[in-house]
Amino acid sequence: MAGGGDVAACLRDVTKSYGPVKVLDIPRLDLERGQIVAVVGENGAGKSTLMGVLSGTVTPTTGTIEVAGQQLVPGRPDHAQELGVAMVAQEFPLVGQLSVAENLLLGRRPESSGTTLLSRTVFDRRGTRAEAKALLAEVGVTQVDVDRPVERYPVPVRQMIEIAKAWGHHPVVLILDEPTSSLGPVEAERVLALARRHAAAGGAVLFIGHRLDEVQAVADRVVVLRSGALVADLTPAEATEERMIREMVGSELARADLAPPSTVERTTTLSVRGLTADGLGPVDLDVRAGEIVGVAGLMGSGRSRLLHTVMGAQPRTGGEVLLDGAVFHPRHPADAVAAGVGLVPEDRKVQSLLPAHSVRWNVTLATLRRISRHGVLRPRADKEHAAGIVADLGVRLRTQEQPISALSGGNQQKAVFGRWLAAEPRLLLLDEPTRGVDVGAKAEIYALIDAAAQDGLAVLVASSELEELLWICHRIVVMAGGRVVADLPRAEFGKEKIMSAAAGSRTGAGTGPEGKASA
Amino acid sequence: MNTRTAAAPAKEAAPEGNGRGSVVRRLLETPEVGVVAACVVVFVALALDKSSFAGAVNLQGMGFDLAQYGLIAIGESLVILTGGIDLSVGALLGTSVILMSWFNVRAGMPPVLAILLTLVIAGLVGMVHGLAVTRLKMAPFVVTLVTYTVAQGVTLAITSGTSITGIGGTFGDLGQTYVAQIPLPLILFVVVAVIAWFFLERTYAGRQVYAVGGNPEAARLAGIRGDRRIVSMYVTSSLLSAFAGIMVLGRMGVGSASGVGVGWELSAIAAAVIGGVSLVGGQGRILGIVAGTVLLELINNGLTTLQINSNYTNIVLGCVLGLAITADRLRARSVARRS
Repeated sequence: MAGGGDVAACLRDVTKSYGPVKVLDIPRLDLERGQIVAVVGENGAGKSTLMGVLSGTVTPTTGTIEVAGQQLVPGRPDHAQELGVAMVAQEFPLVGQLSVAENLLLGRRPESSGTTLLSRTVFDRRGTRAEAKALLAEVGVTQVDVDRPVERYPVPVRQMIEIAKAWGHHPVVLILDEPTSSLGPVEAERVLALARRHAAAGGAVLFIGHRLDEVQAVADRVVVLRSGALVADLTPAEATEERMIREMVGSELARADLAPPSTVERTTTLSVRGLTADGLGPVDLDVRAGEIVGVAGLMGSGRSRLLHTVMGAQPRTGGEVLLDGAVFHPRHPADAVAAGVGLVPEDRKVQSLLPAHSVRWNVTLATLRRISRHGVLRPRADKEHAAGIVADLGVRLRTQEQPISALSGGNQQKAVFGRWLAAEPRLLLLDEPTRGVDVGAKAEIYALIDAAAQDGLAVLVASSELEELLWICHRIVVMAGGRVVADLPRAEFGKEKIMSAAAGSRTGAGTGPEGKASA
Repeated sequence: MNTRTAAAPAKEAAPEGNGRGSVVRRLLETPEVGVVAACVVVFVALALDKSSFAGAVNLQGMGFDLAQYGLIAIGESLVILTGGIDLSVGALLGTSVILMSWFNVRAGMPPVLAILLTLVIAGLVGMVHGLAVTRLKMAPFVVTLVTYTVAQGVTLAITSGTSITGIGGTFGDLGQTYVAQIPLPLILFVVVAVIAWFFLERTYAGRQVYAVGGNPEAARLAGIRGDRRIVSMYVTSSLLSAFAGIMVLGRMGVGSASGVGVGWELSAIAAAVIGGVSLVGGQGRILGIVAGTVLLELINNGLTTLQINSNYTNIVLGCVLGLAITADRLRARSVARRS
């Protein structure tokens, strides 16, 4: 039996099967104290199951798990927590209506409270607030009012709150599930620093990442999962990007076969002048047909707001937008769709999918009126239309009638792309187009964007992943504080340039952790 | 389509066994199977036990009942599909009965005019519901609770507790006629059900109703004007209440002030839920809703036929509802597990 000395957690012969399908098979895995173990793998490779098993939310079919020398009772999240496993989930289990402070101390009482019966029964508002503030300061989040309800903060801030919440449990094993997927570069770096600090203090970190550069930067050890099996256990030196991708996808390599973006220049599709909205602008921006324009910026810089305002999903307060030379003022996204604009929003589950409904319903959502005749849907045409979309985009599924929530993240996102490409828009707005998508699907989505642009579609992509923008865009505009602060053609692309522009308009220096978390 | 990907590496093979058992699985994944089966079982059991149950007279009686409850169950379900709830359907039905008889008898209007005017009023009430829910973002429960209360008050105020007699013959023609032994209200109900089915399954507006109920934000960002769909469903629900009111008035022959329709909204909600309509919205089909109504009616009538003390009826109906919800939950969970 492994003692509690330097092994924080160990898994022995852990498997998990759903019916005949084995989704996880780990003969042996030790998480040592002081080590950051990164887990990489495509969607469906078993990463979530591994985390679930360790944090007690998934009951393994066979095998045992020990945390700090004690055996974990399978399928008991509370027991895992007691043993010192804390998990930062990708979908945040925060109570939206409760305040930040209440969320941070959810399920426990502030340490400052006394132990008398009264102080154990009565909610200690002052202690809660004080401890919440201290926690947030510890993880480096400033300018968050702990009394405001969590739901009033945007996703990136909520992610930081979630991290602070896990941090507050003083865990032995800290599980981070793609903690930076919704964060801008500065905040992401802060999270990585936090992981390092936890390891340095003798804790173990299990880090699930999609961004391979981050994995390289942070991991002391990289574990690669493929189809539920542990296929590689790499040292940082071995874990080059190529190597990791090769292990993840098996034989085929994803990145090299992407064609560089074309530089066709055509007429101006979107022309934005002095556009203002709540927290946005004034913004001037042009996107030509066939052009892919990236929008970079820290979180809260107005990237999503720009897209939503163009789409008519957020009220515009001023300025003018021309679409193919005609005045374009959508008051509802329906106006934008009718004019030939599509939006792939940031949060797939909340903003894109009808999770309980079939793939067919999901992919035809934006083209329903078009495929109906006098408002009537013909079942066969409906099915053929959906089958065409699914086939063109290479969505992997059993049948188009299965609920879309049963697909992997990458395939869901491809379906959402299919929904919009089927509408044959003139302008496509993409907000974090590959969030929560595995490497293989990412490459396919990039190819889709590229192909659509070649056909003359104007694309505006907002993303917090700089590599992504550098890879697919012809031009990148950098936003800060709701305004465009830089406009870089492809020849001038550079990470440092974008980062300093994004942070530049603020008071702090470009490299300092000054990127704030304003709503 | 203007895009094409390079041959997608098809390595995510479908993990589940194909062919064998797929018919069973598809049946199990169809939410309405349970209710329809239950209807058949209950009907056959009762018919075998009591020959009078399947007799023409009793079946006709059930047909009248079915039409009344079924019409408001459909209206209720349309609202639930959008993610709302309409507590006013029963009370509004009662008020419609009184309004029609009052317009006809006291105000001296011809029956047709009385009906039309009542339908207009009901439609306006529904529109107020819809606008309050969409524009003012008021909770559907509260909005329709207001109408529920006010409508009952209006009924009392108009009648002062005494029924209105002497209504025109048109009402009786609508509410009591048989076409080839089949009650006219039942036929009208079937017509409404078919129209609702067609709307939900075969029109893009119907699909959009599901989308709005399933995920309002996703629907909005996909360019669907959800507010319009929601308002129109509230209007339809109120119209169907008034329409059912015509049948009730025709059948009773008097504008009864004694609580017609009160509590019917709960039967309507129960029928919807038993039929597989999800209370969070976006899920449920007409087949299930109709089957849910039929099942409730079969049980209700069956208990009478079996001469079980009517005081026990609600206990049985409540248990059936509880059973339906539990079965639906278990089914949904097993489907979710498998995926």
